[in-house]
Amino acid sequence: MTAELIVPLLAAAIQSGTPILYATLGEILTEKSGVLNLGVEGIMIVGALAAFVVAKLSGNPALAFALAGTAGMILAAGHGVVCLWFLGNQVVSGLALTIFGLGLADYLGTPLIGQTAPGFDKLPLPGLAQLPVLGPVFFQQDLLVYLAVLVAPLLWLFLNKTRWGLNLRAVGEYPDAAAAAGVSVLRYRWAGVLGGGFLVGLGGAYLSLAYTHLWTSGLTAGRGWIAVALVIFAFWRPGRALFGAYLFGGVMAFQLRLQATGTHLPSSLLLMLPYALTVIVLVLASWKGRQANAPAALGINYEPQD
Amino acid sequence: MKSKVMVMIFVLMLALGTTPAGAKDLQVGFVYVSPVGDAGWSYAHDQGRLFIDKMEGVTTAYVESVPEGPDSERVMLNMARKNYDLIFATSFGYMDPMLKVAKKFPKVTFMHCSGFKTSENMGNYFGRMYQARYLSGIVAGAMTKANTLGYVAAFPIPEVIRGINAFTLGAQSVNPDVQVRVVWTKTWYDPATEKEAAKSLLDVGADVIAQHQDSPGPQEAAQEKGVYSIGYNTDMSAFAPKAHLCAPIWNWGPFYAQMVEAVRAGKWESKAYWYGLENGIVDLSPMSDKVPADIQSKVMAEKKAIKAGAQKVFTGPIKDQAGQVKIAAGQSGSDEELLGMNWFVQGVIGTTQ
Amino acid sequence: MRRAMLSIRAYKRQEPLRWSSCLVFFGAVALSLTASALLLKLHGKPALGGIGILFGGAFGSLWAIEDCLIKAVPIFLCSLGVAIAFRLQIWNIGAEGQFALGAIGATWAALSFPGLPWYALLPAMAGAAFVLGGLWGLIPALLKLHMRANEIIVTLMMNYIAILLLDYLVYGRWKDPLSFGFPMTPEFTPAAIVGKIGSTNLNWGLAVCLVTAVLIWVFFGFTRLGFEFRAAGENVRASRYAGLPYPRLVCLAMILSGALAGWAGFMEASATINRLQPSIMVGYGYTAIVVAWLARLNPLTIGVASFLLAALRVGVENLQLDLQVPAAFGGIMEGMILLTVLAGSFFMEYGLRFRRTS
Repeated sequence: MTAELIVPLLAAAIQSGTPILYATLGEILTEKSGVLNLGVEGIMIVGALAAFVVAKLSGNPALAFALAGTAGMILAAGHGVVCLWFLGNQVVSGLALTIFGLGLADYLGTPLIGQTAPGFDKLPLPGLAQLPVLGPVFFQQDLLVYLAVLVAPLLWLFLNKTRWGLNLRAVGEYPDAAAAAGVSVLRYRWAGVLGGGFLVGLGGAYLSLAYTHLWTSGLTAGRGWIAVALVIFAFWRPGRALFGAYLFGGVMAFQLRLQATGTHLPSSLLLMLPYALTVIVLVLASWKGRQANAPAALGINYEPQD
Repeated sequence: MKSKVMVMIFVLMLALGTTPAGAKDLQVGFVYVSPVGDAGWSYAHDQGRLFIDKMEGVTTAYVESVPEGPDSERVMLNMARKNYDLIFATSFGYMDPMLKVAKKFPKVTFMHCSGFKTSENMGNYFGRMYQARYLSGIVAGAMTKANTLGYVAAFPIPEVIRGINAFTLGAQSVNPDVQVRVVWTKTWYDPATEKEAAKSLLDVGADVIAQHQDSPGPQEAAQEKGVYSIGYNTDMSAFAPKAHLCAPIWNWGPFYAQMVEAVRAGKWESKAYWYGLENGIVDLSPMSDKVPADIQSKVMAEKKAIKAGAQKVFTGPIKDQAGQVKIAAGQSGSDEELLGMNWFVQGVIGTTQ
Repeated sequence: MRRAMLSIRAYKRQEPLRWSSCLVFFGAVALSLTASALLLKLHGKPALGGIGILFGGAFGSLWAIEDCLIKAVPIFLCSLGVAIAFRLQIWNIGAEGQFALGAIGATWAALSFPGLPWYALLPAMAGAAFVLGGLWGLIPALLKLHMRANEIIVTLMMNYIAILLLDYLVYGRWKDPLSFGFPMTPEFTPAAIVGKIGSTNLNWGLAVCLVTAVLIWVFFGFTRLGFEFRAAGENVRASRYAGLPYPRLVCLAMILSGALAGWAGFMEASATINRLQPSIMVGYGYTAIVVAWLARLNPLTIGVASFLLAALRVGVENLQLDLQVPAAFGGIMEGMILLTVLAGSFFMEYGLRFRRTS
């Protein structure tokens, strides 16, 4: 592979990692509050559909993007109702939400087949875009890519440097202790679920507003599941999520480019690359002992105390 | 405790019973492998279904997203049990299940798309999409400046390989130096990945993108890069007005209508229905005005020749990637050879695995 | 429950509901069916009639019930498998991949020893499915124990790898020369096909399922190892101090878990499809996770839950066929039913007290 190929490859890595990045960050927020939401795939696709519909009706991609997040939040609220209020099993609830969301998006979206909607186009940042290598890779992307890169450190700041963030993490680690200290477990978990749902919805919106400008059933194509995996891969850290999402997107883009240059390897084996590499990197990282555990109360419902 | 639940449900069911279906109209059932919302393959078949649904005395029904294993067998069984007269199954993997069901219901007419097996009451059908692909190849071969065409393809199955070969032969007929690069996505509809695959082809220098995918993702990639593209399934010019040159398209309606008429008249016969441009089952969408007039007229002339049977797409000598002659000079590929095609012609860069 | 909804307050029941939990279950199902009926109405279809068609398709005839049972078999086996791992608090999301490996193993045996009689070949296929499925389960277990790699992500990624491996084989070296280049293996010889029971459409896989379920139930209820399993599952940390061989239990659980999913793959390849092809993968491994938790990891309840979920899916097909609602409707309904049943199960352990406040 030559240099002319590597720059577009890296640019592609950033772009194809972005929808996964939004979803991963969202799921990190949710899981940090102690709630496991496996409904990422379902929430994501509902977000993608909402974004497409709003963009089509209003012609305003920014509004579409925001409302996609809201749609994701509404769907995530279903998870909140079942798990936080009714103490339902978080694994089943999340999976059910995925089934529901995929069905809903397919049901509502079928009439929109073959239509186009406005979205976000590339927005080179003045000055920075002209930098060699870095310019085309980082600064000739669309607005939503820049936003995603900003969300990661913001989430880190929120979780580690703000009172609310510390409370949210406390609720995910030691809910009883947090409650004893006067922190409302339920309120923070709701915040985690809804905030996470919002970000996941944005990830879906990226697919229908920026990556492509169209709608088909199954637009997310399993990216929500990759996000669930990347949360663990990232050891629940926003910074590593950034790295993980771009790495995954990069390997995916790499195997396509390897094919384009004319390789004789079977495509099935090439397609295994991103998944195999994720496992290998995870194993190496875990083995080295930079072990980061899941939030201690992850997946465990908080029972009422009376 | 749960057994009691079951018993109660069971009693409830028996009380409700099944609903009888009206028997006067010709009932036609369709089995789709993906949701109609895939915007491509199943969508095209469903357009055909809607076409015959308008016919007098015909009612249609479909079941979508049916996996190709035992689920499809059950769906077809249920259609037959409900006295459907004619059942179309539109994916290759439905072949064996349909054969099993056809044996059990000799009075029902079964039609399987894209396979090769038949029985007394089961025929198969397909369109010679490769003819339209050949025409689109002519357009692509004439429009490329880099002599490199990119082809985003779903799965390495004969139908797709045949299309790539025909496209390449078409391109070579006007531009002998042209090469076609292939990227497999291993998915029928994942617009983002398809678009990414197209971008990877653009990065290695392709300046016309063709696709055997359901979504218009690759079209968008071509438009953004400012190069040309060839659509598929339906006219995709709405998605890439500046890039889109033409598209090989499906048009199942007339064929389905023909089958309905034949069954109704008792004249249906079990065979392989493999129609092409002459029947309108496949076609080339109107060409963009960016295609020069002389190319347009050449394409139309070729189309006329193929329609008349004077010209065959796979006419020898045709060599494979290794330079071995696969179809000898003066001969043309038989339907069996085309149906099981698993090699690329010379000029294609990529692997058939 | 701290959600102080004005005057309603939840309290924990002294004893969980027993028989009346049926009522809760029915209430939840009825609620979601009502919602589905409304949705049908919105779609311009008959609401009550639609629900009738749904039930008719699932239970309305002998063959409908047969169909449900056939569909329930792979879900049931996968679900039993993941339940074993879940009991040890090992989050095996990999039933899908283990299912694929089982199918690959069975197919390998079927293709390699075509001459064997059925009584030798079927056990060989089952054995190969057991080994490969079990191996696909063991790898994440070992990575977890020795490399501290999280099993959720490893099993999930190995699902994708397994499916692509299956693809590689059927698109490549195992492709039937007579298939005109289509990705599938040759059809199995009759000796490699699990037969049907009598004149029904049911195959003997169903019997294997039932026996397996009983064996597992006995194993957990009445054997020492089963007891250790349960003890370790209830408190992982304590079990280590209590001297239970936790790592060995984890390996065993994952091998069994993978092997059961592998058997599901074997049954699908042998009994219902009669060959290996990519479309054998339809997500049973993921469905199994829902079923296992819904049944609270109890082997016998898993049987009932698998059947009911299979029935729902079969019934929805009938709805599609007779009323022309899109397949997506099934997903919406399934999601709603699962969510309401889950939420409803709250009332098995909690009651509501209404307090009059001024």
